[in-house]
Amino acid sequence: MNGEAILPYIIIIPLFGAFSMPIVSLAGRKAREAWAVLISALTLVVASALFYHVWDTKEIIVYTLGAKTPFGQGVDFPIRIVWEVDLLGAIMVLTVAFVSFMAILYSIGYMKHDTGLEKYYTLILILELGMLGIAITGDLFNFYVFLEIMSIASYALVAFRNDTWEGIEAGIKYMFVGSIASSFVLLGIALLYGQYGTLTMGYMAIKILENPTVTAKVALALFIAGLLFKSGASPVHMWLADAHPAAPSSISAMLSGLVIKIGGIYAMARILFSIYSPLANKILEAYNQPYINMGAIGWVIIIFACLTLIIGNAMAVIQTDMKRLLAYSSVGQIGYILLGLGIGLAAYGTQTGEVALAGAIYHTVNHALMKALLFLVAGAVIHEVGTRNLNELSGLAKTMPKTTFAFLIGAAAIVGTPPLNGFASKWLIYESSAVFNPVLGAIAIIGTAFCTAAYVRVLYTFFGRPSERIANAEDPETSMMLPMLLLVLAIVVMGLFPWQISDKVMIPAARMLEQFKFEYIQALISLAGGA
Amino acid sequence: MSDDMGVIVRTMARATIPLIGIFGAYVVSHGHLTPGGGFQGGATIAGAGILFLLAFGLSEMKRRYDKHLYSALEGIGGLVFLGAAMLGIGTAFFYNTLWHDGPVFNGEPGTLLSAGYLPIMNLAVGLKVFTGLVSAMAAIALYRRWKS
Amino acid sequence: MIPFQFITAFLMVAIGIYAFLYKRNLLKLVLALDIIDSGIHLLLVSLGYRMELKEPPTAPIYTGYETLKSAMVGPLPQALVLTSIVIGVCVLSLAVALTINAYRHYGTLDVRALRRLRG
Repeated sequence: MNGEAILPYIIIIPLFGAFSMPIVSLAGRKAREAWAVLISALTLVVASALFYHVWDTKEIIVYTLGAKTPFGQGVDFPIRIVWEVDLLGAIMVLTVAFVSFMAILYSIGYMKHDTGLEKYYTLILILELGMLGIAITGDLFNFYVFLEIMSIASYALVAFRNDTWEGIEAGIKYMFVGSIASSFVLLGIALLYGQYGTLTMGYMAIKILENPTVTAKVALALFIAGLLFKSGASPVHMWLADAHPAAPSSISAMLSGLVIKIGGIYAMARILFSIYSPLANKILEAYNQPYINMGAIGWVIIIFACLTLIIGNAMAVIQTDMKRLLAYSSVGQIGYILLGLGIGLAAYGTQTGEVALAGAIYHTVNHALMKALLFLVAGAVIHEVGTRNLNELSGLAKTMPKTTFAFLIGAAAIVGTPPLNGFASKWLIYESSAVFNPVLGAIAIIGTAFCTAAYVRVLYTFFGRPSERIANAEDPETSMMLPMLLLVLAIVVMGLFPWQISDKVMIPAARMLEQFKFEYIQALISLAGGA
Repeated sequence: MSDDMGVIVRTMARATIPLIGIFGAYVVSHGHLTPGGGFQGGATIAGAGILFLLAFGLSEMKRRYDKHLYSALEGIGGLVFLGAAMLGIGTAFFYNTLWHDGPVFNGEPGTLLSAGYLPIMNLAVGLKVFTGLVSAMAAIALYRRWKS
Repeated sequence: MIPFQFITAFLMVAIGIYAFLYKRNLLKLVLALDIIDSGIHLLLVSLGYRMELKEPPTAPIYTGYETLKSAMVGPLPQALVLTSIVIGVCVLSLAVALTINAYRHYGTLDVRALRRLRG
């Protein structure tokens, strides 16, 4: 199968679905729901094919928009928009497509009583489109456009239930913080463009190597600041704890599971490793040339990660609102992923760094599945009981056994219990952080202790004495149960082969991201010969 | 109480709205030759719609504005854009096959019927921007009147 | 030559950030976002200015480009700024819609009133 031929369909299909949604929805709600499910299922098929192709060939796909080659006539630098997909991007594409499909399937039952659903399904497809675009793009401004597509769709979706004050307040906070963060990213892009006169990531990397100026460092600082905002890292995590609970649960699942990772972690990894190549900076350092100290930047990320990890997990313990607890837990888990990323950068070139990076990628995927499952469970509880206050949900295991079972699996996985998928990824991060610096390992373990306390508390409530509030609750309908069970299945199956997945997928992905042979740049430059 | 802006403004608006519309249509259709294009022209035409809303008031706007029609038109604008981008999918997404070897829109650079898919895309984007901005304005104007 | 346009651009960003941090009215915050965006747009579009032929450059217009005496400004930054303006319009209209909604629920535009979510 030709990867380059199927790559554009990953954008075309959701875009077609989103644009045709107002027309299709004239035919009634059944048509609308069927259309949304069909489109996202097709996207999932294409994403799986793309992932399989990249994983199989271990080659970076470079796709040029509008021509055969990104290089213009008579010039030796890329002038067109390119999409570059390495294994990390392909993993992200698959995760996004899968979780979005689950969320859309779940929406059929969950959003039944809401109005304005044609806008809802349009926005959810646009959100998926934005995330897929970020995962595949190889052009800085294209990245910004997709980032904004994703962000605007998610602001609108957080405030979708505009008859409640909660949604509006959370939407406004999210929008202001997110817009400021996007402005930082745009300013960084503008500075880089002004300095180096290109926007293609691979070519930008070469340009930065030739002349690492102060502007590049300022731009890097702006990128990191903006993307830490977007990923909900600790000093600025408040919007996340407001926005994710206020959204409809299917959207919370996508926001917590995907948006903060694609728009924050993945984008940061792409910029740090593909544009500001750490290997080249090490070489420059060895030859006493001007260079950018990527190790120090790794340590900055590690410090933020430790703060995030402790604060997020600790705040989760004291929440009484179920969705808020999950949102704070997301903050904590972002801390683990950032820790892996930071160690991967600070210990670049060593076995430890590679393991940490693989752990971060692995945990990103795992956490997307787990947190999506947990938010879907929370949505089911809200749908059936009408409250998300933990004090009123006592004894839910009696009346909603399947839902409670799904929650049990999700909570066990997120804490890191061995037979489930969360164990392997957390283990990789613990191991590498302990080897790198024992203090970091200790902090990671403390974070997990808090996390365990938070989830044990929820489970204790669920299995406690039944309160009268939940007497009439029952397991939700099939369209809501099915996504949950599929996610449970995914978690269990991934938990059965933890080290195989790690060795076969995550380590190669980390190695491809670290680009010891400048693969990302090579893939772009190799096209120049054909021009 | 009537919510329009009086007979003077209405008369002036009646005279200027077609002119604004024509200018917007010019900007859209010459988007590939001059500064401007789909978004600018669409926004100009939407300006005519907003002038209509301001001059004639919300009640008149409600009579003329059909939500479903506008959102369907917006969708059609997007679909035409996507279709134009997919014309050259055999080579690459967004490949300008009309310009390189297509039957139409491959004239001399600088003439109206040149530049391949760009005029089509400008028309589609203009339609989408016009309907989108008018819809947004109408929604905000409708929403403001919650007290009455 | 002192790059006045860069100074203006960064001044605009600074003014926007100041307003964003110290103003309490929601509409002013929306304006602050817009000012920050405008500053960045000014920076981006001024990056395309070229003085290669000693004449002030013209806009990138295709009609009649053969008779042109001077260089065109770089068209790419203009395309970028245009895209960015479109995005800005989206954010602005969404922000205004949310502000109207907030006024409906809270009866005020003061951000200090938007503190019901806590914990």
